[in-house]
Formats: sequence, C-alpha cells, structure tokens
Amino acid sequence: MTAPFYLPAGDEVDLFRAAYDQRIPVLLKGPTGCGKTRFVEYMAWEIAKQRTGAPPDEPLVTITCHDDLTAADLVGRYLLSAEGTTWLDGPLTRAARTGAICYLDEVVEARKDTTVVLHSLTDHRRMLPLERLGTTVAAHPDFLLVVSYNPGYQVTSKDLKPSTRQRFLAIEFGYPDADLEAEIIAHEAGVPADVAEALAALGARIRNLDAADLVDGPSTRLLVHAGALIGRGVAPRRACDLALVLATSDDRDVQDAVRQVTHAVFAA
Amino acid sequence: MTALAPLTGSLSLYYRALCGRGCELVPYDDDAELRQRPDTATTVRLPSHVHSGPSWYQVALTHRALHHELGTFELALDRPEPFFRRLRPAGLSGGLDRFAGLFGRTALAVEVFTVLEDLRVDTAALRLFPGLAPAYERVRDDELATRPDLAELPPRSAAAEALVRLSLGATSIRLPQPLHPAVTRMAAVAKVLADRESTVESTAEAAIRCYGVLARLPNLTPAAGPDEDVAFTESAVDDGFTLPGQEFRLEGDEVFDVRFAPVHYRDVPGPRYLGLSASGMPLTEAILRMTGEESQAADEFTQRSLAAESGQVDVTTVQRPPEPLPHDHGPDLEDHHHGETGPVHANGRHEFAYPEWDHRAGEYLADWCLVREKRPRSGRSGRAHRDALKRNRALLPALTAQLERMAPLGRRRRTRLRHGDDLDLDACVEAMADLRTGRTPGEAVYSALEPVAREVAVAFALDLSSSTAERLPERDDGIRRILDLERESVALLLEAVERVGDSYGIYGFSGTGREDVVVSVVKSLDERRTPATLRRLDGLVPQHTTRMGPAIRHLTRRLATHGAPSKLLVLVSDGRPFDLDYGQRYGQDAVLDYALADTTRALAEARLAGVRPYLITVDPAGGDYLRTMCDPDEYHVIADPRDLPVALARLYVTARRAWPVT
Repeated sequence: MTAPFYLPAGDEVDLFRAAYDQRIPVLLKGPTGCGKTRFVEYMAWEIAKQRTGAPPDEPLVTITCHDDLTAADLVGRYLLSAEGTTWLDGPLTRAARTGAICYLDEVVEARKDTTVVLHSLTDHRRMLPLERLGTTVAAHPDFLLVVSYNPGYQVTSKDLKPSTRQRFLAIEFGYPDADLEAEIIAHEAGVPADVAEALAALGARIRNLDAADLVDGPSTRLLVHAGALIGRGVAPRRACDLALVLATSDDRDVQDAVRQVTHAVFAA
Repeated sequence: MTALAPLTGSLSLYYRALCGRGCELVPYDDDAELRQRPDTATTVRLPSHVHSGPSWYQVALTHRALHHELGTFELALDRPEPFFRRLRPAGLSGGLDRFAGLFGRTALAVEVFTVLEDLRVDTAALRLFPGLAPAYERVRDDELATRPDLAELPPRSAAAEALVRLSLGATSIRLPQPLHPAVTRMAAVAKVLADRESTVESTAEAAIRCYGVLARLPNLTPAAGPDEDVAFTESAVDDGFTLPGQEFRLEGDEVFDVRFAPVHYRDVPGPRYLGLSASGMPLTEAILRMTGEESQAADEFTQRSLAAESGQVDVTTVQRPPEPLPHDHGPDLEDHHHGETGPVHANGRHEFAYPEWDHRAGEYLADWCLVREKRPRSGRSGRAHRDALKRNRALLPALTAQLERMAPLGRRRRTRLRHGDDLDLDACVEAMADLRTGRTPGEAVYSALEPVAREVAVAFALDLSSSTAERLPERDDGIRRILDLERESVALLLEAVERVGDSYGIYGFSGTGREDVVVSVVKSLDERRTPATLRRLDGLVPQHTTRMGPAIRHLTRRLATHGAPSKLLVLVSDGRPFDLDYGQRYGQDAVLDYALADTTRALAEARLAGVRPYLITVDPAGGDYLRTMCDPDEYHVIADPRDLPVALARLYVTARRAWPVT
C-alpha cells in the first residue's frame, strides 16, 4: 500500500501528531471537498507506518454519518443465523478494539442521541459500553477518534452539542491557496500546470460568491474532477459545466454566473 | 438587441465572483446620463439595451471588476513600481487626488491616468480570461469603429484620442504626420503597462509622461500635415521625461481642455479616480470640489460609498432610492379598468379562478377573482437575510429550542425491519422456524425506536400592499418600512422552521382589482430552500392593494393538497382588506363590510379544508375588524411594528403547539 497523496497547507500535520501523541480526539472543521478525509487517511497511514509492532490491517475505520445512523450502527448488533444469534461489532467497536483511527465524517449529520455514545471514548475513560452485551470495551492504546464537519451547513439545522464539541481538539481547514491547489490538481488529475493553474484560479473566483449565493464554493475535489475530465480529452468548458456549474448550485442565476466565469477563463 | 433587465441576476453574481464585491446594476438609457452619474463603489451603471449579445455586459463588468483586483482605486504614491525611473516627487504620499494636484490641468491628468489604467486593465483581462478574448475583441472593434474623426481634432485632442485607440487595441492609427513623434512616445510608455508585473503606480508614472507629451501640444486648430499611418511597434521608452513644472494657464482654460470621448463599455472617470468618494458626481464637479472639506460636505450616500470603497461596510446593503409615497398607486392603477361584468377565465398553469362571497346577496359569485402566481424578481443577494439573523441573534436560539422541544412528539418502536437496533423476537422465531423447515427465512427481523415527527405544513403570506412602504420611525438597524419588517420576521422564522423540518412556503399577496390578484411565490411548499429563496424574499416590493379573500383561497388550495396532517396559514398584514373593486357596486360605505365578509368566508373555507388560519397585523385598529373574522386565538394585533419578528415567532410556536396531531 502506498501513502495517500497529501500536501500540507499549514501546520495541520504537526497538530494532528501532537493530538495523537496525547490521544486527544480531533475535530476537523472545513468546507466540503477541501481535503479533510484525505488528510485523515494520510495521517492514519503515517501513524500506522511508524508504530512499533505489526500495523493493523485497517489503520483507519471511516463512518459516513447520516440522519438514520443509530447507536447500533456504530457499536454493533446481533445477527440471526441458523445457529441462533451472533454479535457483530460495529465499526466504532472494531476500531476501539484494534487500535485504529476511527473517523466519523460529517458527524453533525448523525442524530444527537447517536453521537452521545462517543462520549465515554473521548474522555479519560476511553471505554465503550456495549449495552446489549452487558460489557464494556476498553479502547486500545492506539485508538483515536476523529470527527469532521462542515461549518457552512451549520447555519440552520445542525450543530454539535457543546458537550460533544468540547471533547475535541479542533483543526480548521480551508481551501488551499491557489499555488498549492494548482499543485494538487496537477497531481491528482494529471493535467499540465497551466490547466491546473487556470482551474485553481477559477475555483478561487467562484468562491467569491458567498454563502448567500452558494451553500458551498467549488471544492478542490470538484476542481480535480474537472481536471480529470480535461485530462481525458473533454473540452475545458464542457468539463467545467459538468463538474462545477451543475454541481455547485441548482439556482439558475448562480449557474449562469458560474458558467460565465468558466467560459471567461477557458477559451473552449 | 439585448436587454439588461433579465440578466441582472446572473451578471451581478458574475461581478461578485470576479472581484468578491457586490454591486447594484443600474440601467441607463442615455449615454449623457452616464457622464453625469459615473459608477460608485456600490453601483455599476450599464446601458439598458445593447445592440450586441450578452457578452457585451460581461466585458463591461469584467473591466470594472478588474479595477478592484488590480488596485485601480488604491494608488499609493509612495509605493515603488518596477518599470519606470521615478518621476513622482520624493516624499509624496496619498492617492490620485494628490497625484492630480501635481498638474496644472487636473482633469486632463485624471483622464490620461484613467485611459492608461484602462489599457492596463484590459490587457490583464485578455491575459486572465482568454475565453472572453473574442468578445473583448468584438466589443473593442465596435468601439474603434465609432471613435471621433481625428482629422477634425486639434493636436492635443487628436493625440489623446490616439491614446484611447491604443488602449482599445489599435495597432496603427492614421494621424497627421507632425503628431507622430508625440503619439509614438506615448505608445512606448503605454506598452509597459501591458506587463503582468505592472501596478497602478506604473500607470501613474506612465500618466506623468503622457501628460507631459499632451500638455506641450497646442489645442486650438486641427493639426496640419499629411495623414500617415503610425504603427505601434516595439520601441524603448525614452528617458527624456520630466515631471511637468509650472504651466502657463489662461483663466477658463480647463473648460476648453481636452475631453476624452468615452468608451462605452468602460466606466467614466468620476471622483473615485480622485480618491475622494464614490458618490458618482461627474469628474469636473469632483475636481471643483477637491478641497479638504470634501468629506465633511459629503452627503450620507457619499459617506457610505467612501466606507464601502475602503471595505468598511457591506456594499450589498446599499441604500435604495426612496420607495413611492404610501398609497401612491401610480398611473397604472388610474388607468386600470375593472369591469363588473362576469366571470374571469384562468389560462395556463399559473392562473386560478376563485369565487367571491357577496354577503349582501348571500351568494357566491362564481369565478369572480383571478389569482396569478408569479415569481418575485430576485433581490441582489441573500445578505439581508443574514443581517436579519444577526440582528435577532438573541431570539433565534430560544425560538428554535422551543420548536425543537415540540418535535419529535416521542418515539415508537417499529418491528419487522430489515435494519434496526434490536432483533424483533416474533420475526426471529418465524425466521428460525423457516430455517428449520428448510424454507428461506425473511430478512426483516429487526426492530427500532424511531422518532415520531409532528408533520406540519405552513404557508406564510405577506401583505405587499402599497401601505407596507410606509416609513417606520427612525431605527438604528436600518429597517425603514413595514415590508422590511415583514421580511425580517419571515427570515427569522424560516430558520427555525427549517430546523424542525416543517414544510413551509413563503408568499406575498397584493391586487389591483378582481382580475389581477397576484400571489408572489418566494418559496412554494414543496420547494427546497436555496440561496435563490433568500434573494427572492429580498426582492419583494410593495405593490398595490390587499384583496385577502382570493389569496386565502389560493393558499388554502395549495396547503390542502399537501400531505402533512397539520396545516397552518399565517397571514402578516398591515391593515384591513381593501381593493379597488371590492364590493364597490354597493357604494363606498359598503366596501369595508363587503371585504371583511368575503375574507371571513375565505377563512371559514380554510378551516373546513383542514387549514388553520392565523392573522397577525401591525394595524393598531386591527382588533376592531379581526375579532369579527377570527377566533380570539387566531389573530394577534401588534401595537409597535418593531415587535413583529418576536410576535410572529411566538404566534407560530403557539399555533404549532395548539394544532392537534391527527
């Protein structure tokens, strides 16, 4: 397995490492597609590589949170088989037992009564009660909990409870600066530097549309997608239409404006 | 022929994307108007129609947006630049006003600076936006085709015109031979500004040099000598330039000085180019007012623009021109003919015919009112919405907490699920029996506790009658009209409603007679909230009169088809129902009773359809007529309009709680 590609934008690698050394749970805040998940993958790989002894098969357990995620989805449940019932650990329990990093992506999407099960893992107890088994799992010494969320979505309906939020060390992510973003696009999409630079500049301009116009600006991921299409021979304007214009908004005026900007940046 | 009006929404967003600033696009019909009222920090003026395609507007806005990106209005005389031997006096700091003060002919200096800066901006535009290059070239070629005839201009004006053409990308110009050396010198200087490293200070240095060339030319009669093409080839900037010294001026010379013919797609130099303000006064006036007292003499709009220019205020919340006076319906109403002659006919998907209750006759008038659904025009941004939330920061958490406490109503265990927290014992026994007997067991062997949500659909209907344009007493928060307060209240409430997951629609209603009742759809019940919702809310404007009956019937119809068991209709109004032909045939004295009776009947129809109506009014006399129309718990009179946001929020919480779950 090779290391995931990640270019640090600041001191986030050092911060994460310091938090890991102290086993302080980490909260990653940042807009969608700015590299949070890739960063966790990179850090999990780095940490697993440096650990003494055999690295776990699964250095990172990722859970994508959503409205219907229940505590059982995290902790585990009984399955029915011909022999009777058998217990199956959920991903959180599995990570706590094996010492993996457990990453809950978009944690605020989960119901508040679900995220409460994290509490005992995120303080000095470092344990996970399994109510249905009547037992408790003590977290492996290498286990760390990482959660992420997009503050841009917090305007209306979702937020972390203070009692949950205050258990984490927060690292804030933004979009990388234009040069770094161009480098990322060039690497990930395999496009020449000039195309990558144009895409990065285009992304920066569209992000000038604020939250009142656009829920989220185009992410680095979207720019990479556009670059990938261009790399496969799709005309840049068409590629941006598919990857950026239609993906960033359903609002006709916003789409028209974004399309005008892409058509201004790319000649064909 | 392309019109600006339908493009304003996307074009203002395009401008914001390019430079990160909001602006109001203001159309003009006459070029002279532009010369009299240049752009400001918050306003961009564009022709209402152009003979070419929409890309003309893009070019015009790109040019203006790049002024901000390239620092046109942030000249700092003490800042170094990479290309020219410095002619700016040592120790001189400040912006273009100080710069213009170096010259005898201030207006000429500003015009020269402006055209050179335009050249720098356009060159950068072509470099940064290759996709726009063809449109740019078309627009510039069209401009070049309509420039003044050089043969008729005196030498200084002709050389200045040559400079403008150079900035428009002309590669050669036919000029009287004696002018060639001057124009060639200026062209060599101007070429430097095409370099990507050039700055606004480079433009200032170039302007000193070109001014020097122009100021030495006579400006009385057209230049003599044979016309010959001068080609702008690469040539080195000669180093013989100096800062112009004392100039011999005749009184009134400024009046006869060079006036650069404007380039249509560019902004014209105004006081912003002098670092004074952004209030849009013409250049000449700005120069005359170029004194230390300028900023004190500036009106409020100028002050705002100044602050906007320096980034101190949000430019998207620009003061709008005053709304029409209360109850001024305008000429269109005077001309409106309201026949009393029979039923209306609904055509298309957005028109609906409704009956009206004639309480005198004791019968319905079938198909008597025509309701038309319309999308309101979009405001410039949803920023007003965010400002409203800021102002009500203290109120929102309490409101959402109240609503959240109501939902969910509890939990219920659902059984026989394919996914769930626990095994469902009954289903497990059946599955095991199937297994033991060799049959395929069912997979739905789980149970789960699921929240029981209270399903509510609510339609908020805002009165858009012209009286909502009435000014409120002076407030600190900038809310000036009842309509602004209505908007503010809905802005706050929709955040809370969104949070608890109720379905909601936002509508405005107004009318100009029974054949023209307009329901403005900001957000329909089934739509998701998007940034466009907030822009449309921001775009609601006071209109005509308040014919409540058909609006209630229409929104009842919309709610009745919604699946939610609890349906609420919340009307926010500032006065009693009134329309031009609402019961007029029974005489003026009968109008109020007629309108109240029809509205009362419409409310009764709503209740019958399972829709619970609530009326909230800022009319102090509202209690007098509302008590005849509604149950006491269905209406709320607010003595002080400023309490509307809080009152509406409370009313919604109460209404939602009172409505039984079916």
